[in-house]
Amino acid sequence: MAYSDTLKDHLANPRNAGTLADADAEAEQSNPVCGDRLRLSLRLGSGRIEAARFLAYGCPPTLACGSALAGMLEGMTLEEAARVTRERVTEAVGGLPARKRHAASLAIETLRAALESLTRGAF
Amino acid sequence: MLRVYFDHSATTPVDRRVVEAMLPYLTEKFGNPSSVHFYGQESRAAVDRARREVASLVGARPNEIVFLSGGTEANNLAIRGVCEQHAEHGRHVITTSIEHSSVRGICDALGRRDWEVTRLPVYEEGVVRVEDVRAALRPDTVLVTVMLANNEVGTVQPVAEIGALIRERRAAGQKIWLHTDAVQAAGGLRVDVDELACDLLSLSAHKLYAPKGVGALYVRRGVRLAPQNVGGHQERERRGGTEAVPLVVAFGEAARLTRLELDARAEHVRRLRERFEAGVEARVSDFVYNGDRARRLPGVSNISFRYVEGEGLLINLDMQGVAVSTGSACSSGSLEPSPVIRALGRDDELARGSIRFSLGKDTTEGEVDYVLEVLPRAVETLRRLSPLYQKARTERACTPA
Repeated sequence: MAYSDTLKDHLANPRNAGTLADADAEAEQSNPVCGDRLRLSLRLGSGRIEAARFLAYGCPPTLACGSALAGMLEGMTLEEAARVTRERVTEAVGGLPARKRHAASLAIETLRAALESLTRGAF
Repeated sequence: MLRVYFDHSATTPVDRRVVEAMLPYLTEKFGNPSSVHFYGQESRAAVDRARREVASLVGARPNEIVFLSGGTEANNLAIRGVCEQHAEHGRHVITTSIEHSSVRGICDALGRRDWEVTRLPVYEEGVVRVEDVRAALRPDTVLVTVMLANNEVGTVQPVAEIGALIRERRAAGQKIWLHTDAVQAAGGLRVDVDELACDLLSLSAHKLYAPKGVGALYVRRGVRLAPQNVGGHQERERRGGTEAVPLVVAFGEAARLTRLELDARAEHVRRLRERFEAGVEARVSDFVYNGDRARRLPGVSNISFRYVEGEGLLINLDMQGVAVSTGSACSSGSLEPSPVIRALGRDDELARGSIRFSLGKDTTEGEVDYVLEVLPRAVETLRRLSPLYQKARTERACTPA
C-alpha cells in the first residue's frame, strides 16, 4: 500500500492533535465495520472556527485525514467549513489509495456531525 | 538515517557467499541439465550437488527432494498432489486455523470441490493440540497438513507427535499422509523428516539467505502424488520444467550454510530477541505478546500494542528506518484483522495492533538498541492521537487506587 509523503508526514507529525477543554462543538464518528474512529473538537470566535483538534484511531489514512481536516478548519467560517468536501480532504493528504477512500468519508461525516451539534445548540 | 531490517520472516537478504556460488551459473555455466553434452552435464552436476545439500539440511535422501519455485508451489504440490492422487481413499483433510495463506487458500479451494476440511483451533498459545488432531481423524482422512512453525507468531507446532499418530493409523491400514510447511522453521530450528515422521515437507530458499523464486518439496520415498506441472520429465516426473539452475545452486549453498551455522544463528537471534523484549518491557506499557513465548522460533517476537493500529505504527517506524510487518489490514472500509492473531482469541483491537519483529543472523545489538529508541516514541505518538487511549487514561484516573 503506497502512501504519499504528505500523508506519512501527517502520521509522523500530526497537526492539531488533542481535544479542547472549552470546545463549542464535539463529535465522534466511527466506521462500524472496520472500527476506525475520529473525534473532532471545535471552538468558535468572531464567527470563525478559532481552534480545531482531532483524535483518531485506525489505519494511517484515517489519522492523516483527521490531522489535515483539523488543520484546514482553523480560520474558516461555519459556511466555509460546511462546504469542505471529501475530495478536498483527500487532496490535503496527497491523495488516497482507492481502498482507503473511506478515511476521507469518515472525516467529512465527523465534520458534519460536529457542525450539526452547533446548529442544534446555542449558536 | 540508520536502516534496520526486522522483517526476516518476510524474506532474508541474500548471503554474499550464496551470490558467489550462483554467479557462474548466470554466466559461463549456462547449460540445460537435461542436455547430454558437457554444458548440460555441468549444470546437472550442480543441481545434484544442491539436491544433496537441501536433502542433508532436513535429513532426507537426495531423490526425495523436488525443486520448484518456492513455498507456495511446494504447498500446492503437496496438498493438491496427495488429495488428487488419493481421493478414492477419502475426501477429508485436517489442518489448523493458523496456516500460511497458501495452505489456507488450497484448503478453501478443496472445500469448494467436495472435500471436507477440518480446521483445528490453536488456543491462546498459538499451538495446535495433538489430542484435537486425534479426535478429528476419520477413516476417510487422507491428509493432515500442519505447519512446523507459524509465520506470524513463530509458534512451533507438535508435528513429531502428530507424525507418530499418523504412523499408528497407517500401521492400522489407513491411507493417510502428513504434510508440514517448514518454510519458516528451517532457518530457526533443526528439521529432520524422520524425527517429524512427515511424508511431505515444504521449504523456501529466500527465508534462508538465498534469492526468491526457488524452493523444495520433500516427498518421502514411496509417497505418490499427482504432479501439478506436467509436460516435462524433470524432477522424476513430479515437477515438469527446466530447472532454475542458478537459483537451485544458490539454494544448495544456502542450505549448506544453514546446516553448518544454524545453532550459532539461533543462539545469536535468541540473545538479541531477549535484549529487545527486555527493552520493550522497560519502555512501553500496555502491550501483549502473541503466541507461546517458550515454544517459538528464536528470532521472532510478535507484540500487540493496545490503543494503536499496526499499519500506522509500521509506517511510523518505517519513516525512522525500521522495517517490521503487521498481519492486519483495513481495506475498503472493512477490517481484515490477522486470522492468526484472531485465532489466538485476541479481540479486534489487539489483532489490529499486532507487529511482528523478526531478527536475522546479521542483526546487531546496535540495531536492537536503535529500535528500542524509536519504538516507544512511535507508540507514544500514535497513542496521543488515540481516542481509545485517552478514554482509558481518563478511566484509570477516575478509578480509586
